[in-house]
Amino acid sequence: MSTDRHTAFDAQGFRRLVVSGAECLEANADAINALNVFPVPDGDTGINMTLTLRAATSADVPDAASATVGTMSSAIARGALLGARGNSGVIFSQFMKGLATGLADCEHADGAAFAGALRAAADAGYQAVGNPVEGTMLSVMRAAAEAVHPPDGAPDAPDVLRAAYDAAERALAYTPEQLPVLKQAGVVDAGGQGVVAFLAGMVNLVSDEPVVLRITAPEGGLESAAANVSHEFLEHTEEEMYGYCTQFIVQGEGLDPDSVRERVMTMAMSTVVVGDDRVVRVHAHAEDPGPLLSMGAAIGALDQINIQNMDLQHQEFMSLHGYGEDAPEQAEAAALAVVPVAPGDGIARVFRGLGAAEAVSGGQTMNPSAADIIDAVRKANAGFTIVLPNNKNIVLAAEQAAALAEHPIAVVPSVNVPQGIAAMLAFNPDLDGETNAEAMRSALGSVRSGEVTTAVRSTTIDGVDVREGQAIALLDGALAAAAGAPDEALAALLDAADLEDGALVTLFYGAGLTEEEAEEAAAAIGARPGGIEVEVHEGGQPHYHYLVSIE
Amino acid sequence: MAVKVVTDSTSDIPPELAEELGVPVVPPMIFFGAEGFKDGVDITKDEFFEKLTTGDVMPTTAQPSVGDFLDVYRPLVEAGHDVVSVHLSTKLSGTVNSARLAAQEMPDATVEIVDTGLASVGVTLAVKAAVDAVAEGASAAEAADAARKAAADTEVYFVLDTLEYLKRGGRIGGAQAALGSLLSLKPVLRLLDGEVQTSEKVRTRGKALQRMRDIAAEVGPCHESAILHRAEAEEVDAMVRHLAQFTDKPVIVGDVGAAVGSHTGPGVIGFALRRKA
Repeated sequence: MSTDRHTAFDAQGFRRLVVSGAECLEANADAINALNVFPVPDGDTGINMTLTLRAATSADVPDAASATVGTMSSAIARGALLGARGNSGVIFSQFMKGLATGLADCEHADGAAFAGALRAAADAGYQAVGNPVEGTMLSVMRAAAEAVHPPDGAPDAPDVLRAAYDAAERALAYTPEQLPVLKQAGVVDAGGQGVVAFLAGMVNLVSDEPVVLRITAPEGGLESAAANVSHEFLEHTEEEMYGYCTQFIVQGEGLDPDSVRERVMTMAMSTVVVGDDRVVRVHAHAEDPGPLLSMGAAIGALDQINIQNMDLQHQEFMSLHGYGEDAPEQAEAAALAVVPVAPGDGIARVFRGLGAAEAVSGGQTMNPSAADIIDAVRKANAGFTIVLPNNKNIVLAAEQAAALAEHPIAVVPSVNVPQGIAAMLAFNPDLDGETNAEAMRSALGSVRSGEVTTAVRSTTIDGVDVREGQAIALLDGALAAAAGAPDEALAALLDAADLEDGALVTLFYGAGLTEEEAEEAAAAIGARPGGIEVEVHEGGQPHYHYLVSIE
Repeated sequence: MAVKVVTDSTSDIPPELAEELGVPVVPPMIFFGAEGFKDGVDITKDEFFEKLTTGDVMPTTAQPSVGDFLDVYRPLVEAGHDVVSVHLSTKLSGTVNSARLAAQEMPDATVEIVDTGLASVGVTLAVKAAVDAVAEGASAAEAADAARKAAADTEVYFVLDTLEYLKRGGRIGGAQAALGSLLSLKPVLRLLDGEVQTSEKVRTRGKALQRMRDIAAEVGPCHESAILHRAEAEEVDAMVRHLAQFTDKPVIVGDVGAAVGSHTGPGVIGFALRRKA
């Protein structure tokens, strides 16, 4: 904790603020994940915002000598935009972009500059979504911006941040009053909590009076969120940041962790430097670990040195997961391609069978970033690309990808896999991109979507009592039933769907179910009156026993 | 001396209609392995579909030979007739080429060859137009033009139970041929530019049939209409009743024969609609 009073920040100081905010967010990611309205294992707001900020703080930053707050904030915002995952991450990346817009002309950022930038940031957040809803992170952003009135005299930047934090926290506490669904679930808005955590991290870097975050997760929520949220995914994402993960301890006397942190940050990314005057622990990602170690050796004795080559880990991960050299890096050039996001291999195969290009891996609990989507579009190598997000929490990232990519991209906003497949059926490679996108958009409404998963906590929502560990069914995004086992939840789901005669039910099974179990469930559905047709496919999706298309 | 209209069995023209119109039907060959049959001559439709669905050898088809055409043209020409020979799309079959070569064997005869760009009962509607023109005194060239004009005004749509037969026979055009869908699809197909194209992909037969009815309604009033099928009587009757709303003439019902059936498989139902120009 610094005891210096910062009245204004230079470029490096601004970056440290963002890093501190990011670290605080990351430290609380699991708790934020647990603030999920539905007891489904998609509690990923904390992860998504963390990964978005990691991309921001890992972005290439301007040369230290010539950097201004304007160029630094712009570089950070660019990283956030590309790295944005999930709706919360996308909105947050727009917030960062707004902040950068507000600071564009600043050499240094003082209180007045921050006050203006926070307003620009909140405005940008609102513009990121088509229908802004109050009681979400948007309300929290705006409260933070409005707390900072035109400066009486010239307030210090730390005071501005502190005022913003206090107002944000109050706005967060008020979100359950604005959104009944939050109140019902007994949570505050998760994205709003992320904004508060970010502001807290900034405040605590510069304030004499540190703030203490208290995140009240719903009962049982925190453990299950921590258990369910894909840490493998988080680590995999970290591995995508290349170079050497370098960790060591410096022991000595009269050490200054702040000055060590400053020096490390000029040499490396993803830096965490903590300690006191006798021990400093360093964690950083660097292209070359040598200079970091030399720096440490110059001020004390090195210990517990651990260096890992993330490039190699990354390659191993890729080959383990079938992304090896066999897979063509780039498809043959085509006029038109469809890039779907698929939560499992089986679902990716179904999309390929309908004429789609390689899928972006992702879905519940693993939202791809805008950059991941742009990368898949690049590999599809087409003059025009249609992106199917296939998840309501990926739609905004897909739209952000469309805005940032150099390739023409149309997003057909499928909010689940069944909608994506319905859109894919309307795809005709002989027609042009815009015509296809139009036809695919009109096809979205032609199916209903069901999901069967395991409840991660006990709650009552949409009038259904749920106990942790039960199988639960969601129909078109609303909780429909809770039951002892996945097949019972599936049966209840289809009861709730009120199937028409001759309806077609397509089951994609995943998450721990065998083909035999899925076939048995299908036989039971087929035996219902009304000539119901059933089709079963291996979906391969995690966490969700069944994804169900009803038409 | 008169003008006589000839077709081949890929027109799926009902035998009694062919007889009534006085139109000879040239048969292509169907092979199950080395075993060859003349379509509609050596093998009935029921026998064919029985073999198709229960046998382990997939059939292949061969266009009628030049000799097959000469066997039909010669007696007509020798009786003093001109000939109008109306056939399926050259993009789907070499039948028209055989017919042309046969015509070249008889340089002194008048044999007009019509590539309708269609298949099945779409060709039947073009045949009907040629016969009607002849009845009104048209020359062979004029009757051929009438057939071409009718073909240009005719829409052919059909639904299959599976794309397998069509893909195996290589009779589906464009990028759609690459589709290897894991999902069962009931595509609505159409003949466009002489080729089979996917019009829409739907998941159930019920939806596909509904879409077919909608398409017929979109096309609207028809000069004439025909159904092609190897489907349940109930579905066929319902389609006849639906099409009857759009035309004053009786709806022609063509049972799909071996030549077309090899490529559609069982369960096919579709229609040809000749728009009112």
